[in-house]
Amino acid sequence: MAGDRRRIQGPEVTVAPIIIKSSDKGKIQLTDANGQRRDGRNLEDIRPIFLKTGLISQANGSAYIELRRTKIACGVYGPRQTKIPSFSGKGNLNCEIKFTPFSCLKRRQPYRDAQEKELSQLVFEALAPSIRLDLLPKSTIDIYISVLENDGMASCFAAAITCASVAVADAGIEMLDQVAACSASYIDGDIYMDSDLVEEQRESGSLVLSYMPSLNEVTHILQSGEVEVSLTTQAIEQCTDTCSKIYSVMNHSLLESVKNRIQ
Amino acid sequence: MPPALISPSENDYILRGVDSNIRADGRGRLDYRQIILETGLITQASGSARCRLGEGTDVLVGIKVELGAVELDGADEDVAAIKAKRGRVVCNVECSPIASQQFAGRGADDFNNELTQMLDRVLNGPQGGLNLEKLCIIPGQQCWIVYIDAIVLDYAGNILDTIFMATRAALYNTKIPKTIIQDRGDGEIEFDISDDEEEWERIEGWDKVPVAITLNKIGSRHIVDATPLEELTTEAKLLVTVNKDGKVCGLQKSGGGSINPSLLNDMVQTGRSLGQSLIQSLDEMLQREENDINLKRARKERIEKLGFFAAI
Repeated sequence: MAGDRRRIQGPEVTVAPIIIKSSDKGKIQLTDANGQRRDGRNLEDIRPIFLKTGLISQANGSAYIELRRTKIACGVYGPRQTKIPSFSGKGNLNCEIKFTPFSCLKRRQPYRDAQEKELSQLVFEALAPSIRLDLLPKSTIDIYISVLENDGMASCFAAAITCASVAVADAGIEMLDQVAACSASYIDGDIYMDSDLVEEQRESGSLVLSYMPSLNEVTHILQSGEVEVSLTTQAIEQCTDTCSKIYSVMNHSLLESVKNRIQ
Repeated sequence: MPPALISPSENDYILRGVDSNIRADGRGRLDYRQIILETGLITQASGSARCRLGEGTDVLVGIKVELGAVELDGADEDVAAIKAKRGRVVCNVECSPIASQQFAGRGADDFNNELTQMLDRVLNGPQGGLNLEKLCIIPGQQCWIVYIDAIVLDYAGNILDTIFMATRAALYNTKIPKTIIQDRGDGEIEFDISDDEEEWERIEGWDKVPVAITLNKIGSRHIVDATPLEELTTEAKLLVTVNKDGKVCGLQKSGGGSINPSLLNDMVQTGRSLGQSLIQSLDEMLQREENDINLKRARKERIEKLGFFAAI
């Protein structure tokens, strides 16, 4: 009897699973003959957005966003006193994004992994230019984002930024402008706006842009994949246009929440 | 990353300098510091390179290729079929505490992670340039895994550009042993790895690996190759990665500021043209080094590396 009985005794050798390719399923067509995507959208259309504030009662501000299968909740706490203050004339902004273990194709570990740490940093970079941190010295704002369901990493990241921005506004924190974000995929030289997971897996590159429409400033950009400069320029333009559309949805939901509060 | 402070007068000095196209060390807005590049310093590694910018930033990259199982992804047939025929690239960046006291202990964790993810996003994918199919030995079973480890030895600004330059040079320097595949019949395939040190292959597509140009927005203008003080003045950074064909392989903004869309386009264009000329000069540097070594070998002279004493 060799080995430690307290550990799970797995087999000594591992065998790769056999991937059975079914012939009838065939390749997934991303667009039909009319140029419409699998869910009936055109290339430049985004999924319908449901956005609502005030989901979490304990938070100073909160928001929930849903784009078909992408579902994200966000809570904002603060501004409150920084626990271990270091000298700085500006307030601290702490962003944390967390994927629930059941949100992706593969189960994610409950503790924070490297990707979540990086996305948290990116959310911070996208939101920081919009928030008046200079008015809040010695204070901290905590933004916690929970991804309940993830249907495409790029679109999920964009939705998280949009959602967090609305939640910050809902908390009554002074901002320069709202940050709207949207994603685009490059597939066979075409730009697919707001792609879902199936489209994302077939893309050659992607772009996530966050933008402050009233100020006409880009707060964050993230592009991967080998792309011609002209196509990038076109995608940036399309994304800023789309962000302006998302902006009106954000304003509408904030207006609704104010109305509800007055009543 | 640099949490040090900058005084308003220093800030103003840099801002005005950038405005009139002359910086504290005499460079213009779009000038790089002198680049020192040397390959093959670490004999234990499959490939290595060290890149130094001026008298400051110093990055050492070591590459190890190891045998491993291919990645199996059962979620989507089309995607799984592609992945089963590919090798892999694993990146890791570490800021050594010798570069700065701040990197000691867990102080560099977040920064390391950020750099690692940036490098990984560019290299792991079709835009990375490397021919991953060539790294596969037996489809669905065995492949080469390329471990890229970058160590930051000295920090004087513009770390990411240096990491990319050193990585590219180290990939050029990487030797993968030849494999001999034998079909035993009944679907059983075996392979041997050549012991002969002279029998090796270069990673295909190393020349298509992009370089990164970090553009720092200061005021309404942008500069490249910023020093630590200039980085403190920077409102927003834009990382543009470009390959030798002039295609953009990645864009990423970092830092706490925002950028106007027209300036953004301007910065992408600048990054692209600078990146292409940078690749050209890097390739020339590598070629020159290789020619030198070959010449010395032919003359049966001793090949001496500058090693870690290389500095101006």
